[in-house]
Amino acid sequence: MKATAAPPNFTMATFMTVWKVFVRSIATRLRVAGLSLLGLGAVALGLAIHLSHSANRPNAAWSLVDSFGLSLLIPVVALVFASAALGDVAEDGTLVYLWLRPLPRWQLALGAFGASVTVVVPVAVFPLVVGAAISGGGWRIAGGAAAGGLLATVAYSAVFCGLGLRVRRALAWGLAYLLIWEQAVARVSHGAARASIFINTRSLAAHVAQHPPPTNAVAWTTGLIFPLVVTVVALALTTRSLDRGEIT
Amino acid sequence: MTSPGSSPTIAVRQLSKWFGSVVALSDLSFDIGPGVTALLGPNGAGKSTLFRVLCGLANPSQGTVRIFDENPRANPDLTSRIGIAPQQERLFERQTIIEFVRLAATLHHIPDPDRAALLAIETVELDPADPRPLAAYSKGMRQRVKLAQALVGDPDLLVLDEPLEGLDPRQRLRTIELFRRLGDEGKTVVVSSHVLEEVERFGSRILVITQGRLVAEGPFSAIRDLMDDRPHRLRVGTDQPLALAAGLLTTGLVTGARIKDGWIEVETSDSPAFRRSVAVVARDCEARLTEVRALDDDLESVFAYLVGRR
Repeated sequence: MKATAAPPNFTMATFMTVWKVFVRSIATRLRVAGLSLLGLGAVALGLAIHLSHSANRPNAAWSLVDSFGLSLLIPVVALVFASAALGDVAEDGTLVYLWLRPLPRWQLALGAFGASVTVVVPVAVFPLVVGAAISGGGWRIAGGAAAGGLLATVAYSAVFCGLGLRVRRALAWGLAYLLIWEQAVARVSHGAARASIFINTRSLAAHVAQHPPPTNAVAWTTGLIFPLVVTVVALALTTRSLDRGEIT
Repeated sequence: MTSPGSSPTIAVRQLSKWFGSVVALSDLSFDIGPGVTALLGPNGAGKSTLFRVLCGLANPSQGTVRIFDENPRANPDLTSRIGIAPQQERLFERQTIIEFVRLAATLHHIPDPDRAALLAIETVELDPADPRPLAAYSKGMRQRVKLAQALVGDPDLLVLDEPLEGLDPRQRLRTIELFRRLGDEGKTVVVSSHVLEEVERFGSRILVITQGRLVAEGPFSAIRDLMDDRPHRLRVGTDQPLALAAGLLTTGLVTGARIKDGWIEVETSDSPAFRRSVAVVARDCEARLTEVRALDDDLESVFAYLVGRR
């Protein structure tokens, strides 16, 4: 029965194991099917723009990326999957089967975050890029969609992973945050815009797409760095919660 | 419980845990060493909370917990020496048994996780090749799956929360044998239960916890004596309650008697002697005896008594 255990530390095998558990846990059929429909909406809109034969395709394509992709599709899809990653296992008590193992806690936070990014990219980012590409607005728009979409996925996933662990009804709190802060306050306040994932990732997307800077835009370098800083801080806070908080 | 000079596996000092104004654990101090230790208490006594604190899943509000001389909250590496089977039934429902137990083995950094998982599953007498997801498993099977994942790293300390619940009689027997064997091998096995008869079969030391307090500890025989020696309440049915009550009071075995709805309720500290003498007294009083029944033989009454005497 005795099987000598190696000293506990980071190994790719254990990280991949944790990541797979989270992917399998969050990617339920219902979630993937429901949110893929939302993702397919981006493809349908891109197709509609393409078929419209409008001279204003680049602006319409940008609207698809800005008003649908970065404002709604990616934040909502990231919220659903990322908040479930640690939230579901904490709520049903199965987090115990990961937490009570000789693993650094950051590996759990990173595994949950990685799982969320893994699922959100094909469900939301990929359809957005396809929609932008087939809209006829030009490849730069698709590039902007890819850059802004990926960065938003990373930042939102990190934030919502922590939210799912720390609060009950994370979906409701996450939606409130998206509606009030990201889509209301940050759009009207230049100061608040600097601290908004949406405004920052949109600014980067506009820069890559060579689209005129949108309202309250920040410098593209800020747009790149701020979401990455948010990601690191959010993962650090999630690790701290796993380390010091009570595990249900 | 531990040999002189050696450190206990678990050392708890003045441990309290509260949630808001609710006190879940109150000023517990005890040591647990190798062998089987049963934590006995009614539902809601604080056993699961204590287990969660012991494993580091929850912080003590006050006091200290040391496992192998270390703080379980501070050192994740310590979990390589602990196997826990929590009370909650939920598992990773979409996984098969081999996937679930292999997951535990992999995360314990065991060099051959497949083999370790097979051995653990065979130990609890389940089929490692079962292709069904865990969602399809019965309560008893889930208990054994939880036990398998706790055993997989061959830990020095096993913390098992109500592990016999839902098992059939044969499986209970086999599982109790397993605990005893692990205890004999020098492992520290801590098992919670709210069933006295179950705990008796562990042949172990017992900690009795109720309302978050440690109310008794020692070998099973000592706890059993304590429970037998407590005052017992019995109901006696007769057609002559007044005469029989008066007769019983003269025996010296009864510390109190009252007549209620035609029945006699007596309190005695020697239940077996009372049962032997009641028929004699009834014959002497020319009373017809219709019933002698214990009113407080349930475990809740035992726990209430133990709380009262602290």
